[in-house]
Amino acid sequence: MSAIEETKPQVAVPKAPTASAAPSVVTRALNLLSSVRFGVTLLVMLAIACMIGMLIVQQNVEGFDKYFADLTPAQKFLYGKLGFFDIYHAWYFDLILLVLSLNIVLASIDRFPSAWTYIRKKKLDASAHWLRGQEQSASLRFEHAASRDAVVERVSAAFAGNRFKAKVTEKNGKTFVFGERGTWNRLGAYAVHVALLTIFSGAFLTAEFGHTGSMGLEPGQTSSEMTETVFDVDQVSQATYQLPFKIECTDIEQKLIRKEGAITSDNTLDWLTRISITDPEIKVKDPKTGQTKALVTEALVHLNAPYDYRGYRLFQASFIANGNARSITLRVTPQQGGQSQDITIPRNGKTRLADGTLVEYKDFSANFTVGGNNPDAEEGTYTNPAATLSVTPPGATPQKAFAFTPEMAERAPFAKQPVAGYTWRLVDFEKAPKAHVLSIQKDPGSAIVYIGFTLLGLTLGAVFFFSHDRIWALIEEKEGAFDVVLGGNTNRNHLGFGDRFKKLVVAIGGEPFEVKKA
Amino acid sequence: MSEVMKQPAVVGAPEINLKSASLSSYLPAAIAFAGAGALTFLRWKVGPEHFSSDGALMMLALAAYLIAAVFYLMNLYAPSPLFEKIGLGSATIGVMMNLASWLTRWVAYREHDVAIWIQQGKPQAEWPWLFRNIPFSNLYDLSLAFAFGAGATTLLIAHRKNFRFLGAVSLPLAALVLTLARFIGDDILGLQPVLDSYWRPIHVGIASLSYGIALVCFASAVVFLLKDGVKTEAMAVWSSIFAIAVIATIGGPLGSFPVITTGTYSVLTFLPPRAPLPLRADLPYVGWILIAAALLLAGVVALFYMYLFKGDERAKRLGHHVLKAALVAQALAIVVLVWQVKTIKQVAVCEGARPAETACIGTDKFYGFWKEMALREGGNPAQVAAVPHEDAEKRAAQYVSQNQGEMFLSLNANPVELAALITAFAGTLFAIIFSFNPEKLRAALPDKEKIDSLMYKTGGITFAGLALLLMTGAVWANESWGHYWQWDSKETGAFVAFLTYGGFLHIRISRGWTGRSSAYFAIIAFLLIVFTYLGVSYLLPGMHSYA
Repeated sequence: MSAIEETKPQVAVPKAPTASAAPSVVTRALNLLSSVRFGVTLLVMLAIACMIGMLIVQQNVEGFDKYFADLTPAQKFLYGKLGFFDIYHAWYFDLILLVLSLNIVLASIDRFPSAWTYIRKKKLDASAHWLRGQEQSASLRFEHAASRDAVVERVSAAFAGNRFKAKVTEKNGKTFVFGERGTWNRLGAYAVHVALLTIFSGAFLTAEFGHTGSMGLEPGQTSSEMTETVFDVDQVSQATYQLPFKIECTDIEQKLIRKEGAITSDNTLDWLTRISITDPEIKVKDPKTGQTKALVTEALVHLNAPYDYRGYRLFQASFIANGNARSITLRVTPQQGGQSQDITIPRNGKTRLADGTLVEYKDFSANFTVGGNNPDAEEGTYTNPAATLSVTPPGATPQKAFAFTPEMAERAPFAKQPVAGYTWRLVDFEKAPKAHVLSIQKDPGSAIVYIGFTLLGLTLGAVFFFSHDRIWALIEEKEGAFDVVLGGNTNRNHLGFGDRFKKLVVAIGGEPFEVKKA
Repeated sequence: MSEVMKQPAVVGAPEINLKSASLSSYLPAAIAFAGAGALTFLRWKVGPEHFSSDGALMMLALAAYLIAAVFYLMNLYAPSPLFEKIGLGSATIGVMMNLASWLTRWVAYREHDVAIWIQQGKPQAEWPWLFRNIPFSNLYDLSLAFAFGAGATTLLIAHRKNFRFLGAVSLPLAALVLTLARFIGDDILGLQPVLDSYWRPIHVGIASLSYGIALVCFASAVVFLLKDGVKTEAMAVWSSIFAIAVIATIGGPLGSFPVITTGTYSVLTFLPPRAPLPLRADLPYVGWILIAAALLLAGVVALFYMYLFKGDERAKRLGHHVLKAALVAQALAIVVLVWQVKTIKQVAVCEGARPAETACIGTDKFYGFWKEMALREGGNPAQVAAVPHEDAEKRAAQYVSQNQGEMFLSLNANPVELAALITAFAGTLFAIIFSFNPEKLRAALPDKEKIDSLMYKTGGITFAGLALLLMTGAVWANESWGHYWQWDSKETGAFVAFLTYGGFLHIRISRGWTGRSSAYFAIIAFLLIVFTYLGVSYLLPGMHSYA
């Protein structure tokens, strides 16, 4: 009997006489650990623990501080002592999972031999009485059949036509045709359990040896450390984790739905982070100089599209919603009069005017006020945008300049002042946040979990959408006619099996049947 | 030369009727799917101005489900081919409208996005892919698909004639899901960027279909218990306890029991355009009617307890009368609630007598309101807690006096509460219906083994569906968040339901736990699915806040 099998009315089996010696403690423990009833109890315990974890806000969940502050001292004490604030890492939770895994293994070992007999030791014959007691049965009489072989041939053909693999045997002068399909379905449940254990193993590796942290990056910034958050009830601390490579942010981009809207998530299609990974542990030869140097890899990380590098996965996690600009377009007008020109400079970039003046894009303020950003401005909005420039005329020292929008320049007299012989107007800019935050994961267990998922997906299909159908036909000659007693059973989908059985019965007797005379 | 063997005589064979297994028996389902496709095509071609909205189609589906359920029920008590045909026809129309509602929503989402793209002057080549607009972005969309999953499963099962009765239980439940959707609101909102993934239709599609099949498994379990001889009075006790629990918990924050303790029921208020405020306004009369209903239901529990455990026949007869009175009280509470939300013109702090057409805000709610608003705006919990009550109440009063002219009530404010009240009402109604000549009802139902087999089949598919749901969710989470498993409340809820269905399947091979125990497991498992679907979204924090 497989572990997941449809219930059929059970026949009462008289109890075997009990041995006088009581089973040992070990035997009893093994019996308990391998029992399905104990397994169901463990499932219920696991479900209850999970429900507690759902209903009591966990310490790593956003809003825990508010939840914790609202609890009474007694609740804080009790929940804390019972480990309810981090129940999924409590010792008893791990213990339930461990014992459940053990139960799956032992119960499978216990029941596998009986499932295996369906494959290795097939029941090829049966009495008429037994067949009539099966969940589906029928009795047919062939009055005019030429011979027993003709009937056997007809029954076998009907079996084959209904995709039942038929085997004909003779015993005590009776002929039996045994047909079955989906035999391997008996082992499906064991494969499901193997898949579950594979997933558990992968999850264990993730929990024990995995690291997950984050890294905030502005364009031009380089880092080789990620920050891991450590929770201890309502105390949150940060720990750093050294990566074996350096990540440099080369560009961040926020694709907006409405260009004129704020850089909020509801106005965003995607966030893209372009990075350059320098790996000192992998040396490559520079084709130009012939010297060895650290491998540099350019990569793009964006939403739902992580980047994998040497066992680390980099994800687009969040963003710092202070308004900035990925590029600015300036209208530069000579102080002495003359034609204005528009120039576009990327973030941290620079360009030269026709007269050799160097223009560097240094900074950007979404809500410019004298003395700093406007503290009352809503996050992600661009009320008074302004770019900070460094302008260096040929042979002169750099000068700081602000480029305001034409509207703002009209309002603020100081904004009209020329710098380095030019007036600077901000005519356009591509909105972008101040910084992006990447999530970095090192997970030695995920590949195993994925293997488990694949196996589980395949085996669940095999278990629940197929069944092991068995049908026997007993053919006997009686009073010049041939009687065929049919009986069959299945391990699941009894309604569908009923249909298949009826179809088979019709196929055996439904069509005219020709028998060649010898 | 050959001889022709004649048709054999069949002795003791089961009745051979292959009609139920033929392809034509799936015709209603095929008509429903094809009809929905045709309606969607029409909607796409003629545009929103000349076609029903998805909301109107959804209401048609709801009505068709209810009509189908009524005729299926009538067919159980007074078998008639006409009733059965009308039931099947209505179920077909219901599934068609339900699917059409979901599909036309896809068109509406697309048009919404395309309008923005055109306004932004973006060329067609830059328009986002079609699957970005698949309607699986919020709980409304999921509810439409959930109800469709249940309706379609019922219709597919109806290819077996002797299982058509199941629609009498499953279709009202699908109608309840659609009612909930109506209360959630069908606003077309922008898609959260993280949801723009091909995993979304896969993951959420599996969720909605699995939930729908689970609903049918639940319906089978209820019918199994009925067939198995569970007394309808016992069912009435459970439905009454559920209804009392609903009445006790609605109308305020969890654990405050406002209806029971104060006799008032209040609803959340809104600010234009549709911003819900954590501030409730009292609805007159509703609280007292609910208390009356709760008392009557408590009476039902007590009287049926006396009958079930002491065999008191008089208590049984009285209990049925009280049950009917409780049904009337529950219906009255729902009608008064909905009517007042629809007709009340203003929300205000009342001094003295309540002005006409006004919902009053009690000043006792000011501190909680201010605290919630301060935390919503990112206030530090410790600092918020340290603010003296008087100061907080003053600030809240100031806010309310400035905004009360604009505050309004909406049925969309408390979708879970309203749906829970209607579900409780439906539970009481079914307890009454089942109590009407239960022996005749039992005789009209198919064999216990057949119902059990259907329960196993739907339970097994739900189990496999939930496993796929968890797997696809894990893979998507690993692509988006960098963790395949985070014990987020929604994923944990689905995991708990998966474990329970696992228990349901395994319990069947454990001697002594088969039959009813198995049905109870199926019922509990479905309630856990409902909790995951609704409770987690509305009550618990987590990363699935959008659904």
